[in-house]
Amino acid sequence: MMNPDEILKSGLFAVFAGGVISSDTDISRPLLLLDPRSVDVSVERTDSEVVLAILHTRTDESGVNITVGEGARLSIVELYLAEAFSEVRISQRVSSSCRMVCAELCGANVSYRMNLEGEGAENVLRGLFVASGADHCTVNIVTNHLVGGCKSDSMVKGVAFGQATGEFRGLVYVAEDAQNTDAMQQSRNIQSGGARISAMPQLEIYADDVRCSHGATVGQIDDEAVMYMRQRGLCEEEARRLLAEGFVNDIVCRCDVEPLRRIMEERVAEKTEGLR
Amino acid sequence: MLTVKNLHASVGDKEILRGINLEVKAGEVHAIMGPNGSGKSTLASVLAGSEKFTVTSGEVTFLGEDLLPLSVEERARRGLFLGFQYPVEIPGVSMANFMKLAVNERRKYLGKEPVGAAEFLRMMREKSAVVELDSKLTSRSVNEGFSGGEKKKNEIFQMAMLEPELAILDETDSGLDIDALRIVATGVTKLHTDRNATIVITHYQRLLDYIVPDYVHVLYKGRIIYSGDKSLALRLEKEGYDWLINEYGE
Repeated sequence: MMNPDEILKSGLFAVFAGGVISSDTDISRPLLLLDPRSVDVSVERTDSEVVLAILHTRTDESGVNITVGEGARLSIVELYLAEAFSEVRISQRVSSSCRMVCAELCGANVSYRMNLEGEGAENVLRGLFVASGADHCTVNIVTNHLVGGCKSDSMVKGVAFGQATGEFRGLVYVAEDAQNTDAMQQSRNIQSGGARISAMPQLEIYADDVRCSHGATVGQIDDEAVMYMRQRGLCEEEARRLLAEGFVNDIVCRCDVEPLRRIMEERVAEKTEGLR
Repeated sequence: MLTVKNLHASVGDKEILRGINLEVKAGEVHAIMGPNGSGKSTLASVLAGSEKFTVTSGEVTFLGEDLLPLSVEERARRGLFLGFQYPVEIPGVSMANFMKLAVNERRKYLGKEPVGAAEFLRMMREKSAVVELDSKLTSRSVNEGFSGGEKKKNEIFQMAMLEPELAILDETDSGLDIDALRIVATGVTKLHTDRNATIVITHYQRLLDYIVPDYVHVLYKGRIIYSGDKSLALRLEKEGYDWLINEYGE
């Protein structure tokens, strides 16, 4: 697996310390925030999508404030490779879009707070966590629809096994004036062995003309599928590992920054090794 | 190849197999028929090693080895294949990845090197043609979104990839339209050699028009109550099971 040094040396990313991303900023490579402590980012260019990679490799507190300006498009890939305590706050202006892929690959505590404050803003978040051993993974998502005509769609998939625990807390808030809101928030989880996941999705809606849905499931690894795979010669551990990997695979596939997707794949495979 | 002697198996307190005797030799095709609930699928599951059932007595030898202490995967690697009545969907696991792992487990057992990338692709192409399985399906997740017919074709495709010594096909014909039935059954016939054997579990004589059995066994209340040649299947189709049950059932 690529470690942070290798990522920096690879030349595949442009190291970024925060600030304004304007039409003068070179965005031919993804911009990389490595272990950000407290960083403000403002995306002001509208000509093409900006790709921002955020990598957490240290056990630390982290706060990132991102403004996606009018008409701007931002793609975020965020990886947690250490037990960070992190909050990402995103403000989206008129007709902006932000799509995110987040992977919590150790027991971190992560929060996303999305403020959709300009009409026509769109936010899509796809997240995963894999908790093994004694990990405790927490994901908090608050999506605030502050004005009308915005769209949000969040889906977080969690896998926990061993003695690990996972926690999903979600809130979709729709302000009184935010008519024609289209909001979706889902938490899908599987737990195995002694692991436990709790999922609490919430809606708070003050507007009347909205389409909002939320849902949460916590299931087990499918024993029928394990039997099927064993009948083809795979051992039980391998079958369970493949199923857990397969469960989060659609989230991993959403990551179009290749070196980071590879890290996600490798880390998920590593974490699900010997899964019971 | 397979010898089953006085096999008894239960789920909980309920005895489902109550003394099965069966001898299958290389090159043979056996059909197992019988009314619903007679224990046909249980027999298939028990032979495959399903942990849902407890073998309470009896012996099974497969290729000269005691089968019963072996796990599901150990049986599979030795060349025992079960075609599932309801193949399971496995989201996020690609057919190619899954088959590669399965093929390599079998090869490892046989003392062969893992399959190379080019050879594997060639195998996938060649074997999917056996059952006219759209090669696009092999790049998708295992059985996910497959139609009933595609799932059954996929079972036979996997059988072709794994080249088992013994294939047990549990109602592979159920839920198939006429064309899919012909394709699946022809596929099974193509894979049949004098070195392997097939047990087909079916309700319908129709399948046996393609896969001609050497023996037809009737299972009733957990026992094989009657065995005959392929003409037995024809008679059952016309007359049902009552005449047999009256004479040989309890």
